[in-house]
Amino acid sequence: MTFVQLACQWLADTTIGTRIRESDNLFSAIETVHVLGITLVAGTIAIVDLRILGILLKRQSVRAVLQPLVKIAWLGFAVMASSGLLLFWSEADKLYSNPAFRLKMIWLLLAGANQWIFHRTHESLMAAWSAPGTVPWRARLAAILSLLLWSGIIVLGRAIAYW
Amino acid sequence: MTLLQACEWLGHSSIGTAIRTSKWDFALIEMVHLLALALFGGTLLVSALQSFGVIFKGSPPGAIARDLRNAQLASLLAMIVSGILLFADGPLRYYGNAAFRVKLLLIAAAVLTGLVNRSRGEARFATLVSATLWLGAGIAGRVIGVL
Repeated sequence: MTFVQLACQWLADTTIGTRIRESDNLFSAIETVHVLGITLVAGTIAIVDLRILGILLKRQSVRAVLQPLVKIAWLGFAVMASSGLLLFWSEADKLYSNPAFRLKMIWLLLAGANQWIFHRTHESLMAAWSAPGTVPWRARLAAILSLLLWSGIIVLGRAIAYW
Repeated sequence: MTLLQACEWLGHSSIGTAIRTSKWDFALIEMVHLLALALFGGTLLVSALQSFGVIFKGSPPGAIARDLRNAQLASLLAMIVSGILLFADGPLRYYGNAAFRVKLLLIAAAVLTGLVNRSRGEARFATLVSATLWLGAGIAGRVIGVL
């Protein structure tokens, strides 16, 4: 057993992990919160991406859409991450070797990296993006990647239960 | 034809049989259902927050809801179509499921509230009621699998 595997095993064996796993409804209840959280994140990010691509909210500038929606997305991320941590806690030993879970974590990192690069590259230039055709292709590419990655995270999250 | 007979017919139809006998159809349709849910939830929340003046304060109330309406209707349609296909996998299983029945009632109430709200110019109270009903429908949807 590797160290990470041992740590996962230990986590699942803790009182909290066991409580969540053995309770009748706790796991499902946390899972519901988790799905609502991911809806907040992916839903708001999708609207921002679709604005960057010139599909939604064309009357608003990119920045006017991005700034408030990113705040909501972070709120959703906090809900998603904390509920996700509790779900992981209760099944860490099984999830460690679940391919859908592993891929989902990689997808999350890639989505984060994509967003980070987008901010670093475009934040100071975004003020000029309001009329159609003013968004550079790199920003459009980042929006497409973001849509694909977040869709992948939802799909992989559901796929975890099929393994 | 009673509702129960309609369920039996759907379950035995070629679509119902195809989804039930395929290994991955149900999972794939479920994923489409969830993706549509994410976009729907996003548009719903952003529209509601704008009606309450929390975001897009510079735009008149309801302006964002109008601009997001097509995306919202498209994602709702995708959820309904994928939802019917999921139902076709085993209509009798859902027919007697209390959470499923509650979910359908909540969706009907939410759609009705939404339509009334639209004709009256996106009133805040109706927006809140509609959003709460949709939240309830989402939670009931999760409970279907637990019962």
